[in-house]
Amino acid sequence: MKVVVGISDMKVSNTPGDTLITYSLGSCIGVVIWDGRVKVGGILHYMLPESSIDPDKARVKPYMFADTGIPRLFKAAYALGADKSRLVVKVFGGGQIMDADGVFNIGKRNYMILRKMFLKSGVMIAAEDVGGTVNRTVSLEVATGVTRLKTGGREEVEV
Amino acid sequence: MSRVDEILSLVKHIPAFPKVAQQVMAVVDRPETRAADLADIIKYDQAITANVLKICNAAYFGLPRKVSSLDEAVVIIGQDILKDIIITSSSARFYRGAVGAGYQLEQGDLWKHSVACAIMAKLIAVRVEGADPGDAFTAGLLHDIGKRILSSFVADDFSRIVDLVDSGVSFSEAENEVIGMTHAELGGRIMDKWKFPEEIVAAVRRHHDDDVLAGDLLSVVVALANSLVISMGIGVGVDGLATRMRGERLKELGFDDRALDLLMAELVTEMEKAEDLLHID
Repeated sequence: MKVVVGISDMKVSNTPGDTLITYSLGSCIGVVIWDGRVKVGGILHYMLPESSIDPDKARVKPYMFADTGIPRLFKAAYALGADKSRLVVKVFGGGQIMDADGVFNIGKRNYMILRKMFLKSGVMIAAEDVGGTVNRTVSLEVATGVTRLKTGGREEVEV
Repeated sequence: MSRVDEILSLVKHIPAFPKVAQQVMAVVDRPETRAADLADIIKYDQAITANVLKICNAAYFGLPRKVSSLDEAVVIIGQDILKDIIITSSSARFYRGAVGAGYQLEQGDLWKHSVACAIMAKLIAVRVEGADPGDAFTAGLLHDIGKRILSSFVADDFSRIVDLVDSGVSFSEAENEVIGMTHAELGGRIMDKWKFPEEIVAAVRRHHDDDVLAGDLLSVVVALANSLVISMGIGVGVDGLATRMRGERLKELGFDDRALDLLMAELVTEMEKAEDLLHID
């Protein structure tokens, strides 16, 4: 079954027939994780780096923010039997519009906080496609771990 | 006939913007206009009347009880919001069908993007002194109307445009180079033909200009709204994030990182409330 992960949303699954998909990652980031032994996969689509800007919103929508969403993604996968040492982690999105002044940098900030959090908790990134001015759609087959990336104007590729 | 001439002749043939909306816009800002006057204008357009009631009852406007007649609706919601509803209702028809297919937009995407942009523009306008939230809503809703016509021309020269964008120019610049006109400029011409006020026409025409933030407030508001909505990936096609904007003035206007983040967070909630707007006829 196709399971859509919306903006500020997260889904994990261990159902073999499931394909998780998240559309239209602009400056948002899609984090894809998969454990091949127990066949557990998950996608988080977060929009902003830090929940401290609006703690009330973060309580209702924890997947909106990197700092509240990323730990929940991993915990949800662990709850289905995934193990941190086996998780394959891929990262997509974080694009931004062309601002020569560098003020409009949401994509970059979204990516920086992820790198910082992963560094701190010892998570390695197996593959990533981030930055630039493109829009990305990413999917994950739960049974096989096959991850596909569609970037605006180009053919879909496996990553 | 050159391609630009061909495009301009299509502008001539675009259906008129509903008369009712034009009449409402002409009188809504006059102090002597009463809600009942607006109801008198609207009631002759059945589709708009039906939509006004439907949208009035949508969660976005947060009315305390269900509205069943037009007279009741105009009293309860007030003139500013009524104007937004009429503009929304009048605009929806221009975004039906496969509009925007040349930009690889799915059906409904361009409308979703437009509604998001209208709501975001209003959120921004209430935070900027001197900006008019109603005009911001209208300009936001119609900023990409040029895509309706330019879409098939983009489809014709798709690979040339995409190659140019890959080489580092913005999508809008690529439209101009390959087709001879941008969707923003074309949108301005359509808005002009529809006799919208000059500041709204200008905001539509300028929304992809590199230096738009240095200009008039309404253009600033619409361009910023569009950039935020594009960044959020709402109804975005092959043009993606390939748009230019010099962000320096954002700081002067009081929009730091935190303010921009909060606007995006707020839009997610507003869009959930506005779900009904996406499904009007």
